[in-house]
Amino acid sequence: MENNCRILNRIVEINISNVKYADIELSGNTCFVGTNNFGKTSLQRAILFFYSANSRGLGISASQKPFEEHYFRYENSYLIYEISTEDKSFFVIVYRHNKIVFRFVDAPFDPDFFFTANDEAMKIKEIVAGLEKKGIYISNQIDTFERYRNIIFGTETDKQLSKFHLLKGNEKYQNIPKSITNVFLSSKSSVDSRFIKDFIANSLTTENSSIKLEQVERQLRQFNEKYSDIETYLKKESVQLIELIDKKYDQVHMLKGSQIEMADKLGSSLRFAENQNESMRDASKLKEVELEKLEADFKQSKDNIENKQNDIREEIGYYDRTIRESNKKLKEYSEKNIEEALVKNQEREKLTVEMNIARREYESLTSNVSSIELKYTSLIEQLRNDKSAYVNKINSRTSEIFNHYNELQLLQKNEFNKSDVELKKKREESLIEINSEETAKQIEFNQMKSEEKIIRSTRFYEQEIKNIENELAELRAVSYKNKSERAIKHNMAQTIQREWENIEIKLKTALTNRVNQTNIEIIKLKTEIKEIEQKLDIQNDAFYGFLEKNVKNWHQNIGKVVNEKLLFRTDISPKLKKETIDTLYGISLNLEPVEIVSKSIEEYQFDKNERLAQIRDLEESLTQFQTANSEEKMLAADKYGKSLGEMKEDAKVLSYSLELSDKREQKLVAELEDWNSKAGKEIEDSLSSNRQRLNIIEEELSIFNKKKNNLINDFNKQFDKLKNYNEDRLKDLKIKQETEISEIEVEKKNQVKEYEIKEGKLSKEKDSNFKKKGVDSKQIKIIEDKMKEIKSLLKDIEQYSQIISDYLKDKREIFDKLPDMIQKKEEFIKSNNDLSVQLEEVTAKYNLKRMELNKQKRAFDEELINFNNGINFYTNNFRETPVYSKYSDIIERAEAKRTNYNILDLCTQLLKNDSHFNEEYGTFQRYVNEFTGKFRIDNHFNFIIRNDASLGEYERFAQNLRSFINENKIELSIAETATQIGLVTDSIANKVNELSGQKDKIQHIITLIAEDFKKAEFDESKLIEFIKIRLEESDNKVYKLLKRIQEFRQENGLVYNEGLFNTDFATGQKREISGKAVKLLEQLRNAIKEQEQEEIRLQDLFELKFNIKEGMNETGWTHKIDSIGSTGTDILVKAIIYITLLHVFIKESSHRSSKDFKVHCIIDEVGQISSHYLRELLRFAKNRNIMMINGLPNKSGLESHYKYTYQFRREENNNVRIFPSIVTEVEA
Amino acid sequence: MLAEDFNLPKQTHEIFSLMARGNFISSNGTKEGMNRLYDVINNPDNFDRFQAYFNVIRYNIERGNNFFYFSKLGETNSELEKKLERFERYIDIVDLLASMDNKITIGSRFRPSEIAEECNANVRLKQKLQKIPLYRSETLHNKVREICDLMSRDSFLEMEDEKTESYKVLDAYSYLLDVINSVAIYEDTGIDNDSSSGLIYN
Repeated sequence: MENNCRILNRIVEINISNVKYADIELSGNTCFVGTNNFGKTSLQRAILFFYSANSRGLGISASQKPFEEHYFRYENSYLIYEISTEDKSFFVIVYRHNKIVFRFVDAPFDPDFFFTANDEAMKIKEIVAGLEKKGIYISNQIDTFERYRNIIFGTETDKQLSKFHLLKGNEKYQNIPKSITNVFLSSKSSVDSRFIKDFIANSLTTENSSIKLEQVERQLRQFNEKYSDIETYLKKESVQLIELIDKKYDQVHMLKGSQIEMADKLGSSLRFAENQNESMRDASKLKEVELEKLEADFKQSKDNIENKQNDIREEIGYYDRTIRESNKKLKEYSEKNIEEALVKNQEREKLTVEMNIARREYESLTSNVSSIELKYTSLIEQLRNDKSAYVNKINSRTSEIFNHYNELQLLQKNEFNKSDVELKKKREESLIEINSEETAKQIEFNQMKSEEKIIRSTRFYEQEIKNIENELAELRAVSYKNKSERAIKHNMAQTIQREWENIEIKLKTALTNRVNQTNIEIIKLKTEIKEIEQKLDIQNDAFYGFLEKNVKNWHQNIGKVVNEKLLFRTDISPKLKKETIDTLYGISLNLEPVEIVSKSIEEYQFDKNERLAQIRDLEESLTQFQTANSEEKMLAADKYGKSLGEMKEDAKVLSYSLELSDKREQKLVAELEDWNSKAGKEIEDSLSSNRQRLNIIEEELSIFNKKKNNLINDFNKQFDKLKNYNEDRLKDLKIKQETEISEIEVEKKNQVKEYEIKEGKLSKEKDSNFKKKGVDSKQIKIIEDKMKEIKSLLKDIEQYSQIISDYLKDKREIFDKLPDMIQKKEEFIKSNNDLSVQLEEVTAKYNLKRMELNKQKRAFDEELINFNNGINFYTNNFRETPVYSKYSDIIERAEAKRTNYNILDLCTQLLKNDSHFNEEYGTFQRYVNEFTGKFRIDNHFNFIIRNDASLGEYERFAQNLRSFINENKIELSIAETATQIGLVTDSIANKVNELSGQKDKIQHIITLIAEDFKKAEFDESKLIEFIKIRLEESDNKVYKLLKRIQEFRQENGLVYNEGLFNTDFATGQKREISGKAVKLLEQLRNAIKEQEQEEIRLQDLFELKFNIKEGMNETGWTHKIDSIGSTGTDILVKAIIYITLLHVFIKESSHRSSKDFKVHCIIDEVGQISSHYLRELLRFAKNRNIMMINGLPNKSGLESHYKYTYQFRREENNNVRIFPSIVTEVEA
Repeated sequence: MLAEDFNLPKQTHEIFSLMARGNFISSNGTKEGMNRLYDVINNPDNFDRFQAYFNVIRYNIERGNNFFYFSKLGETNSELEKKLERFERYIDIVDLLASMDNKITIGSRFRPSEIAEECNANVRLKQKLQKIPLYRSETLHNKVREICDLMSRDSFLEMEDEKTESYKVLDAYSYLLDVINSVAIYEDTGIDNDSSSGLIYN
């Protein structure tokens, strides 16, 4: 035990690795001698573990077993460290209880604590029990390395454990184990400043206090990628492509929709055609049968009516004839003065009576002269008889002639009448013939006319037109509804947009205000810091420095009364005058109750740090505010963007549906027009054939009329001719008759005159005789005249007797029945007319029905033809095409339904549209490919499309792109990226700040090291004249850039991220700043890539240079000292440097009160160092309270310089035995 | 006259070394910051400076649809002929790529294996591929790879991911399409029985 100081006195290995037991004393310089792979380094590591208690920082390579497994193989594997103190020793047991744990035992090490009587190592429970049994304090299990180190390095607060310390470390005590570890782990032969740098830095920093470049690079990459994605997105070409994609997508979508609709219609039509084919055929046949039946029924009805009409016509003819003849007879009677004759005939009786009276009067007058009378009467009578005979003869002759002529006339008349009748009959026949034909034509004409009327009143394709009209009405109603809905959506979208914009403006204003406010505060704080720094900078040369150097406790007096500004004036040349000390210009003051106003350097430093912390707090709070602001912005974007997107999408859908409706409406209107024109054409076709027929019939009718007129004219001419001939003949006969009669009459007159003369003579003779006999001849004469007159009248009446008798007969038989006959004729005409009307009605009805049936049949036939044509076309020309394959699902699954389209048209249209669709789809694909090709394959927008993407995928891409635009996600992305650049630079700045904050510590350590080098006494050997060390600025490119970013961040705060992608002219400057930031980050990223460095550690912040003079050799200021002299010299220098470093760190990291302790410096492989140098080295270490533990490959005499030497030997069972070598310590 | 006199961007050397090799600079190229170089040339101020500068060394920057390339001023006919000969094989390649089910267009991303598979499944495509005269042609896949290599070398394609062997079609591909579109095929009427048909490059 050495000088009653604390030191790791002993290490005991029980079942550690392949060492069963080893007890190694370490209270002085110790050396381990053994060939390689015998466990020298393992033992050294076990010693190192005492200091570092970090199983991972022992230099065990990844290929080797971990510390826990290599050392603690068994349940009863123990590492025991005995620490000697000022009074007594204690020891630490290290064992594995799942993980490595520690227990402190307040007693010197005794093997009996651990072994049974059979020399078997006990289990920990037994050991603990044994110790407790012996009343020895054993601590609870210490589970963490940290706690163990706290105990060992004297920072444990538990009183029971605090005594188990090796030394009393301060808050930086971690540097001690780190330094010891670093010395052990450095095995390079050359002295490289980098290593020293690492040593210092590693001792000062924790694992986390470096800037992990991989992390920075990842952040930069993420930012850079996002930035480049956004940049690509915002490019003019990309924007154009987006518009094109959007437009083309609509077209493709619409085309696809119409194709699907058409495919569905085709499927429906096909199913319908297949289902309806047979029934259609039957329906057509049924219509044919119905037609035939209708025709037969009509014919029968027509025949019935016509037969009836013929009968009636005959009746009418009969009555007509009879009436005509009656009228004719009446006319004839009238012409013969039948009225006068009848009057005269009424006087006949009266005249006959008068005649008888006259005769009896005459006979009474002549009764006296009866002989004369008789003579003369007989003579006169004779004469008269002669005369009468003559007259009779003449009369008979006259009447013969008269009769002859009358007969001739009669004959003529008969002949005429006969001819006339014949002619009339002929005319009648011809006329009847023509009339019947004309009537037939007229009937036909009327039928045609009624058909025309029916055609005109018929609505062809009524169902189709009605369907379309209904569909149109529905479509218009829906369109109207959609239009109003779209207007509502537009308004809502505008409202949302406005709300969104308001919130964005609000957020932006809030952020700007906050940024401005924070900047003002930061500027204020920076100004204050600057002022403090100025004070600190000049304090040495100012009154303050003077006071610090010359006046003890000046803060207690001068510090209470002096003006702070005065303290930092450099122009007041203070001088110390002893007379006035403790006075103010000679006046003594009691300053006890007065508060100190001056501040110490530390207080200024504290003020500065406080302000820096305030700036950090402000910045942090600004960052938080900005993050919150961005989050709010994102929330708003999410909320409003989504709603807006939905609204826009809805409006777009409505627009699209309206567009479709418009197209559909246009199509339907066109179809309606088609159907109307078809219907019109149908009417026109029907009418035109009807009209043609009507024209022909009209023409025929006019021909008939003409013919009839001609016939009538012909007959009239013939009649006239006949009549004229007849009249001429009659006239001629009359004339002849009259001539002959007048000739005879003249003769008769002459003869009668002769007879009358003779009679007169006789009468005169008689009268004279009467006179002679006295008879009143005058009276007789009057009676005779009277009798003559009556006779004449009677004769006159007799003349009419025949005609009157005829008339009366006719009157009785005919004339009196005439009104009845007229009545009857009228009735028959009426009946006939009724029948005609009936016939017309029946015909019209028939025609209508016939047309209807024909139409239906035609429709069935046409549909059937259409179906068959369609199915044939579909089977032969459509089924094999790719279009069918594309839509086969839709076609095959469609429901059977009648559509307004025929299959052929649908197939043709589908084929035609498909090629158009393919063309449009190709363009759409091209645009999408070109657009996605502009972005990185793993862009953060996820704008990516596979080469073999389906149409659906392309469509989804376009939909997502549309949502992206509608929801204005680019703004979100920009906001995120802007936040990211802020966060990245902020994080870099913080890390740089944090790291460079330790630069002062480095400077301090380097100063200490330099001083320690100076103190080193190399005089004895004169081997090393001096070792100098100094700090220089780092030339690490990455660090330089990091530093620039930190400075940039300090200069510009956080405002620049606002200018990212900002094209606003007003904030153009921000854009410029942002541009610089982006550039700097890009440069940094490139530098990181080029440099391939994993992290920027404290050691990268500065350069360390050495200048060593050995003998006559001076290295000059250099990073690396490859070879100062021999290898031994190099090792020596290196060890000296390490020991110095260790010394400095121990000094720095231990409590000032804790001085009586020693630590070990473990340096393996010092075999090449010369004995002389080794002695020098051990002495150098000893002067610094450092014990050396070194490894030697074999015994070479060097071991004689150590207090303890242990040898390693491998035994037959492969176990290693460590045993002390008997040597004498030459110098320690 | 010095390069400094033209006030050229710092990327000038990079641009020149790329384009002088006969390569294109496409806006959708990402390797070696091609898109950035495109942006640099596309900047109107820079373009004029570049043009003036490169004209001095008898190069002319040609602008295509989203790509740039060099043409040489006063090229000799023999050089032109050589270029045409080199170009001829692209006719078959472009024909093949355009005949794929999923047409390869600008921005398309594909793997040679996909093309090889499609060619394997489609006799017409297989024939087209086999017709293309290349050296390494043991398998269809290798042949397609060779085509992709060739096109990448000529900066019509860009290998995006070496692991998945994924290529992207660059904007310069439209140069090939434009040239092919301007090829007119004429047929000899047979007045003289020399060559019966041939190509004219407009």
